[in-house]
Amino acid sequence: MIDFKKASEIALNSAKSKGASYSDIRIVDIEDENISVKNGAAELIEKNNSFGFGIRAIADGAWGFASSADLNEDNLKKTADLAVKIAIASSKLKKNDLVLAPVTRSIDSYKNPVQIDPFTIPLNEKLDYLLALDQLLRKTEGITTATAFMDFRIEHKFFSSSEGSQIEQTIIQSGAGIEATAMKSRREMGKRSYPDSNGQYESKGYELIKELNFEENCEKTSQQAVAILSAKECPSGTKTLVLNGPQLSLQIHESIGHPLELDRVLGAEKNFSGTSFATLDKLNKLKYGADIVNVVTDPTYPGGLGSFGYDDEGVKAERKELIKNGLLVGYLTSRETAPLIKILSNGSMRADGWGNIPIIRMTNTILLPGNYNFEDLISEVEDGIYVETVSSWSIDDNRENFQMGCQIGWEIKNGKLGEMIKNPTYSGNTVEFWNSCDGICSEKYFKVWGTPNCGKGQPGQNARTGQGCSPARFRNVKVGS
Amino acid sequence: MLSKEKALEILEKGLKYSDADQTELLLLEEDFYLTRFAENIIHQNMGRADHTVMARAVLGKKLGVAVTNKIDDEGIKKVVKDAIEIAKNQKDDPDFVSLPKSGPAPEVQGFDKDTHNYSPDDRARGVKISVDNSQKNNLISAGAFQTETDVTSVANSLGIRQYFQETKANFSLTISRDEQSGWAQAFSRKVKNIDADKLSQIAVQKALSSAKPVELPPGEYTVILEEAAVASFLLFLAFLGFGGKTFSEGRSFMKIGEKITGDNITIIEDPYDPVMNGMPYDYEGVTKKKVVLIENGIGKGVVYNSYYANKNKTESTGHALQPNNTFGPYPKNMLISPGNSTLEEMIASTEKGILITHFWYINYMNPMKTQVTGTTRDGTFLIEKGKIKSAVKNMRIGQSILEAFSNVELMTKGRLLCPQYGVLMYVPAMKINKFNFIGG
Repeated sequence: MIDFKKASEIALNSAKSKGASYSDIRIVDIEDENISVKNGAAELIEKNNSFGFGIRAIADGAWGFASSADLNEDNLKKTADLAVKIAIASSKLKKNDLVLAPVTRSIDSYKNPVQIDPFTIPLNEKLDYLLALDQLLRKTEGITTATAFMDFRIEHKFFSSSEGSQIEQTIIQSGAGIEATAMKSRREMGKRSYPDSNGQYESKGYELIKELNFEENCEKTSQQAVAILSAKECPSGTKTLVLNGPQLSLQIHESIGHPLELDRVLGAEKNFSGTSFATLDKLNKLKYGADIVNVVTDPTYPGGLGSFGYDDEGVKAERKELIKNGLLVGYLTSRETAPLIKILSNGSMRADGWGNIPIIRMTNTILLPGNYNFEDLISEVEDGIYVETVSSWSIDDNRENFQMGCQIGWEIKNGKLGEMIKNPTYSGNTVEFWNSCDGICSEKYFKVWGTPNCGKGQPGQNARTGQGCSPARFRNVKVGS
Repeated sequence: MLSKEKALEILEKGLKYSDADQTELLLLEEDFYLTRFAENIIHQNMGRADHTVMARAVLGKKLGVAVTNKIDDEGIKKVVKDAIEIAKNQKDDPDFVSLPKSGPAPEVQGFDKDTHNYSPDDRARGVKISVDNSQKNNLISAGAFQTETDVTSVANSLGIRQYFQETKANFSLTISRDEQSGWAQAFSRKVKNIDADKLSQIAVQKALSSAKPVELPPGEYTVILEEAAVASFLLFLAFLGFGGKTFSEGRSFMKIGEKITGDNITIIEDPYDPVMNGMPYDYEGVTKKKVVLIENGIGKGVVYNSYYANKNKTESTGHALQPNNTFGPYPKNMLISPGNSTLEEMIASTEKGILITHFWYINYMNPMKTQVTGTTRDGTFLIEKGKIKSAVKNMRIGQSILEAFSNVELMTKGRLLCPQYGVLMYVPAMKINKFNFIGG
């Protein structure tokens, strides 16, 4: 195969010769291994390899992008030419020539630290482990379906730009989860997942599997799935709400991360993913949350699923504030959008594989921990509910309101956790909700939860993001139907 | 794009590399273009050429799946070898019987040369029409104009040999100003059928009509769902229960032979309908059958792939998805039988109701009861005394789909082809009573 540096020279020179004022190339090789078992049998074992390159070009002041799976000299030239041709077509509908925020020229490499390369563990060892978990889940009477899965990914990326950057990155990620389902009738189902409904994903190696401590959680997971069937319905009314980590992670993702994507704020997603209420006039003015709400974007967080060395524009990863003491102070930006708010890009551009355009994506969106013990958080609640684990969610296209469903919950009465409740739901307005936050647990409870399937863009792109948090409390939230 | 001869030559070669008991190879090729615009400019504009081979190897009752997009000799050899290695490490699946057998599928004309040859400049011209129509009305245009050519070819060691080449053209756009917003979409196998002017005029009119929206309280209303909103409900219904896997696991609402919706609802899966011209076989190469899912409100059938057909002692209906998924079989070309009304007549017959253009972020609240939530979007209007009175701020629904389909008073004669998440649906607009909203 052609050397990547040589390939990038061919592509970038070709783009320049056709009239590109800027170009970059990403050569990406992704290997996935997915294993899932269900009720004592392997449901799917799959190895997946996707390799190709994508070229971005600016010509006549507008963007073009072309990509191909065939890396050879002729095709590099052909694809670079197509990227320029597409850019020239784009320029027929432009207002101004594109201006990119400057970026430091980098010649660098990055590898995330991994203790155990998951691809060195034999397949049968992984399968046997999952089948053992599946068996443990089905030990509890009443479980009708048990599942367990592992996913592993290694991604090699080579980025080169006409500005002289050349960056190689290798990122290994692992994910795993278990789930138990109990059914009473065709209309009633109890489902529990651990650690979350998507399991847990981190930028780690096989060591993650042991860290998640599945064996000790199988029995509890199954017992709760069965117990949900006879639990009481979620009460309705305005109550205090306490969210566990995984549920709060989704809340951060949907009602802080997405609304603060600057492309979205500027209307780039209007036709599909939608817009954002957090418009530019609100920067440094909007009280997004209570004083204790401090949120950063941090692609440098060790092990976070949204961690990397450089984004797909060659911008070095760095931690930046988004919400400080409740005030909106930042957005997720790109080289194209950052100049509009007179800053440099904070490195939030990523593409799904080689065949898609980089767009603004969350990295690790982190709600900084507070100082509560979980018991104290609960003890100050007279009438409320505590909920765990994402079940379903729906957010309006301007990210102003949301409706969330969880797998399980418990009533909180007079400072103590009480009876179990099934199908807990809550809803609210984004800004009112975050301003009602009056307690966040401490560092002791903090974890970055991985989301392996964040969808955005046309054509649809999938991104891997992280959300860091400790459990938190919100007052006067509408719960139940 | 790969010709039939070339695609099958690659797959034949791959089969020869395998010493598994049974082997299946699926080849997917795409030539994909999408021009995206927002704020009246083209801001993202892309092309992608990709090809993928998925190998499924069978050793007794053990299966392995491997996927690659390297389709040279070395790549094909490796993907077959990987699938066999995985199968060797597998455990027996007692429910697996065999890969399927199937004869050649009927000829379906899904390819259009003009669509295949459509250029970035052609797409930019379509976008410009939309932008011009928006600017004339002091509105802002955003959308996506997509053209693509796909090849899907399947071969297995039991004799299946299939090849299908298809084109798709899809234009969706949102035209807006502040709170005002209108949306429209069109899909065709032939790009010449995409009328950017007509489409943008629809969205412009909706945007202009949606000024000064009023806020309505949650509660029960009569609604008129335009076709895209009906399609979102149908898509979710399929997700919740039209597949043989969800059905056999008891997770589906479907009750065969029992009344599950109103008498006026008939839903058919039919890739052969001329409006669909869909791929006539599934991703394991089995020729597709037309399947009646609901007939006059009675649950009639679900779709199967070979695995769930064997498990349920029935025949595959030709609805396998790609082998690297665990979702099970799925319908991809659904039609709802039309009524005999028009949108204008439905509005005129409504004393008080809400007209909905489309939904956003539909997700389930209670899957067993087909209860979903989501919001209205880009054109929601209050109807009073048979006329559109004003725009309405977006509202959040909380509604069982089966209950909604039990309360359909009227449907339009005309239907629209709606593409959503890889599924094509040909559906009428519906007037539905007792439709529940849970918030703003």
